[in-house]
Amino acid sequence: MLKVEELTCGYGKMVAVNNISLAVAPGQIVGLIGANGAGKSTTILTLAGLAQAIDGRVELNGQDITHMPVHERVDAGIALVPEGRRVFAELTVSENLLVGGTRLKNWQIKQELQRVYDMFPRLAERRNQMAESLSGGEQQMLAIGRALMAGPELLLIDELSLGLMPLAINECYRVLEGLRKKQLAIILVEQSTERVQQVADHVIVLETGRIVWRGTGDEASRDNTIVEAYLGLT
Amino acid sequence: MLFIELSIQGLVQGAIYALIALGLVLVYGLLRILHVAHAALYTLGAYFGIIIVNAGGHIVIAIVLSMVLVGLIGIGIYRFAYKPLLDKPPLIALIASIGLFIAAEEVYRIIFGAYGMSFSQPPLQQQIELFSGFHLSASRICVVILSVLFISILGWLAASTRTGVAWRATVSDPDMAASFGVDIERVRHINFFIGSALAALAGVMVALLSNLVEPTMGAVPAYKALAIIVLGGLGSVRGTLIASLALGIIESFGTIYAGHILDRDAIAFAFLIIVLMIRPQGLLIRR
Repeated sequence: MLKVEELTCGYGKMVAVNNISLAVAPGQIVGLIGANGAGKSTTILTLAGLAQAIDGRVELNGQDITHMPVHERVDAGIALVPEGRRVFAELTVSENLLVGGTRLKNWQIKQELQRVYDMFPRLAERRNQMAESLSGGEQQMLAIGRALMAGPELLLIDELSLGLMPLAINECYRVLEGLRKKQLAIILVEQSTERVQQVADHVIVLETGRIVWRGTGDEASRDNTIVEAYLGLT
Repeated sequence: MLFIELSIQGLVQGAIYALIALGLVLVYGLLRILHVAHAALYTLGAYFGIIIVNAGGHIVIAIVLSMVLVGLIGIGIYRFAYKPLLDKPPLIALIASIGLFIAAEEVYRIIFGAYGMSFSQPPLQQQIELFSGFHLSASRICVVILSVLFISILGWLAASTRTGVAWRATVSDPDMAASFGVDIERVRHINFFIGSALAALAGVMVALLSNLVEPTMGAVPAYKALAIIVLGGLGSVRGTLIASLALGIIESFGTIYAGHILDRDAIAFAFLIIVLMIRPQGLLIRR
């Protein structure tokens, strides 16, 4: 499904990630972990089209999307749940979801809205509230719901649990499991290594823009070098 | 009666300021550029209005054509003047905008002449009795009705259509909006088209009221509109509307009660300076 080959990326002329390769298939979760500045978010933003691919190749379902404009990647099947949620604060919950469904036809909107509301009943209750008035957990649900509006095949999630209460984190991971069962491919960037090891099929550890370890979630749970690599820089 | 007359006069003037300042605030909200050249589009709208009517066109056709043509020119300004500068510091775009405004005034002088242009037969000059003994020219009524109509349409577009929601999302966080498939370039084009078309409408309205269009007629409104959007809270459409109407009313009453001390523009700027000293963050923004 998604195949990243020897990707080098960054912002303008500044290289933040060097020569990384990874792949994710439908129903799989790939976890990216690493210290601050390791290049996790840059990788995910490059896949979303918000940072620049300098070298290498990114393929989605056989289509080369390396330099595809950001707004066309939604049609290709990519959606982003950004770090810090970045909900549109002065728009209501339903308007935020509408933005998520920008590429949908008018007749599809109602049905997709209902699908998201069924998944997150709290959002349905608060559909006319400004997004800025929601709690952190509710904003994260909104960010996920907004990303799901376009019916993506690949979901890019940056810092799912950052700044959330434990109950909200559990709820978000419950949703994640549900999405995996629906055959969504997910790339998850997380600060919490433990959570990623539990949920991910594959784990990749980044350090200063390079891959320093990769393996399955189970291997990651058993291999202390992961934690050393990760904690060594935090 | 004087109070009503001055209030209506203030409302008319405020409506014109609102039409001009709305375009500025739309551009500032989206691109964080102080679009000084916007006032040149207001002047161009006025010229187009007079030229079309003098060529035999109906005033309605003049208004519509002027808005469409100036709207398209506004898109051109974005494409060729601002877009190449978007990754530069905002000061560069501001300097480009000022340069564009000065150049436009000179181009108008060369093309349309230095001495101004008038309607050969000014339309909408008949007096209409609103209530017993109170008359108002059709042009003034037209200014108020069209301003309310277009501002209401703009408000409806922003609040109730998918394009409007996408536009507001783009103003809030352009990168995020783009990542959900919002075509940012399309939003910017729509933004410049609407803002410039409203400036053209203001230009035609002023031409109707004063029956005179000059190359430099945009200079004072340019400064006032900049002060209005700062007063409105830089980026707040509602604040801009309130500031525009407040300025119109102050000018109207000030000209009668303080006209012997200061002229109309001086009263307006004195008001803007005083309010900005008290509320530098703008009328509707909390500190």
